[in-house]
Amino acid sequence: MHIPENYLSPSTCAVAAVAMVPIWHQAVKHVREEVPQEKMPLIGIAAAFSFLAMMFNIPLPGGTTGHAVCGTLIAILFGPWSATLAVSIALAIQAVLFGDGGILSLGANCFNMAFVLPHVGYHLYKLIESKMPGERGNLVAAAISSYVGLNAAALLTALEFGIQPLLFTDAAGNALYCPYPISVAVPAMMIGHLTVAGLAEAGFTCAILAFLSNAAPTFGIESKASAKSISPVIALVIALVAATPLGLIATGDAWGEWGVEDLAQMVGYTPAGLGNGWEWSSLMPDYTVGGMPEWAGYILSAIIGAALLVIVFRLASGLAKPTMEFGD
Amino acid sequence: MTTGGNDVPEWLKTPQDYTPTGKSDRFVTKSILSVSGVLARFRLDDGKSWALSPQAPLKLLGTLVVVVLVSLSRNFFFVLAVLALLVLRMTLLERKALARVCATSLATATLTFLLMLPAALLGQPQSALTLAAKSLVSVGLTMTAALTTPMGELTGGLRALGLPAVAILTIELALSAIVRLGQTCLEVLDALMLRSVGTNRHKQASMGGIGGVVLLKASRTANDTFDAMRCRGFDGEYHSGNRRWRLGIADLAWIGLIVALVALFTYTQGLV
Repeated sequence: MHIPENYLSPSTCAVAAVAMVPIWHQAVKHVREEVPQEKMPLIGIAAAFSFLAMMFNIPLPGGTTGHAVCGTLIAILFGPWSATLAVSIALAIQAVLFGDGGILSLGANCFNMAFVLPHVGYHLYKLIESKMPGERGNLVAAAISSYVGLNAAALLTALEFGIQPLLFTDAAGNALYCPYPISVAVPAMMIGHLTVAGLAEAGFTCAILAFLSNAAPTFGIESKASAKSISPVIALVIALVAATPLGLIATGDAWGEWGVEDLAQMVGYTPAGLGNGWEWSSLMPDYTVGGMPEWAGYILSAIIGAALLVIVFRLASGLAKPTMEFGD
Repeated sequence: MTTGGNDVPEWLKTPQDYTPTGKSDRFVTKSILSVSGVLARFRLDDGKSWALSPQAPLKLLGTLVVVVLVSLSRNFFFVLAVLALLVLRMTLLERKALARVCATSLATATLTFLLMLPAALLGQPQSALTLAAKSLVSVGLTMTAALTTPMGELTGGLRALGLPAVAILTIELALSAIVRLGQTCLEVLDALMLRSVGTNRHKQASMGGIGGVVLLKASRTANDTFDAMRCRGFDGEYHSGNRRWRLGIADLAWIGLIVALVALFTYTQGLV
């Protein structure tokens, strides 16, 4: 679901980025007001979950791959605005360091995965949860809402891809950017996400929520107690890091994330905007570097990404309002 | 002494409408803030070691070896592997130390990237990124090592690595003198602020005075220190850090890690 560089026109990217500015502003405001200082580093750990979940590529019907995002999970644990901030930073790290998703299209990616996904998921979760109280009800609500949230983001991504050939073509009628119209992009994205990736998101969300409610019930923002024992959570992050090479089993690219040559082979020509577009040279393009095996690069990027997210939110906790309660 | 109405001098009779301007204290306030900032850094961040920290000499030597390997490495994988270890260690730093490591290393990396930008424009974007990443890792490692080692341990470690005792003496005296003279400086600045009532446009002129007072104090402190050292039997030989270092389990683990990094370095160089 990461839109690569040059698949969207610069004007589409600009619109999405401008739309994200007030959203990020709101997110920072809400997080500063709602999240207690001592819980801020925990959002970093939750963001690390999201970063790692996005590295587990799952084969989808049609030969493409997809992944979970865990945006709804963070929204359930720390509120939707925290999720917006956490997933945005995870996406930025992926784009800048690992070339996963474009720099210009970062605004669009954040809009889909960091704003629409957690907000749709969170409000649906609250709606279902109010009708179905109890722990089992919570898990059912989490499963349904995360499934719907991911698919909403996938649909939006497909629409953004699909409007490109309608708006931007050259004199010969060839597309300048993404060449597939809505009639192709929406079914291609949605079949995979409605069947497999959505279920993976729901599975990831429920499994982690069930684990947290048993092993570290003070982890989320709901519990007022400061999270003393988060070592099970750290252990889970380490286990996920070690398991990331499993994401390599799924060969093939995600839909809409092909290289320029692959795309040229599929449609018969190279869209002009894609061929001559600007591209950022990241530290580790596609998580591989220096002639080392792919799994080594994958683990290395998982460690760097997860640790960077924890560092960012630990530093951010210095900016948050200190909370001190005197007595009960 | 008479207190007749005629004795009141003329200038006292005129009404004074003095409103202090906000800018009048800028010079003094700025100086006080910067001096106390330096002092706070010396006092608060005196380095806090971690339960699993190796002993100071090993930490210094290990950091040096890894920094050299990073700068020699032609394979970017090795640099990223060290970066991964560094960020892992950084997640466990205290927030203040973490902020300082991040600020310094990011600033260095940005500067390196900007200096190398012409290379990127000439078609070598990778070299700018590589050098920026290398400087980020080297500065990050050095800062982390410095901030996780108490000052005394650091000089002790330097002594164990064979730095001459005179150099250690100079470093230790300089560090304590900076704190002492910084306090003097603050006192003089306070005095200047208290005495400058009203608008004083020439506060900058007091700069020389402050410098002079601090210099006089410095020479007096140096004499006092020398006298005190003679009284305690100082014979020109400075015995610092001559203690025996014994290897613990944590040290062995760190030696293992460094050996593993050297092995990874040799292996990755063969791949390019």
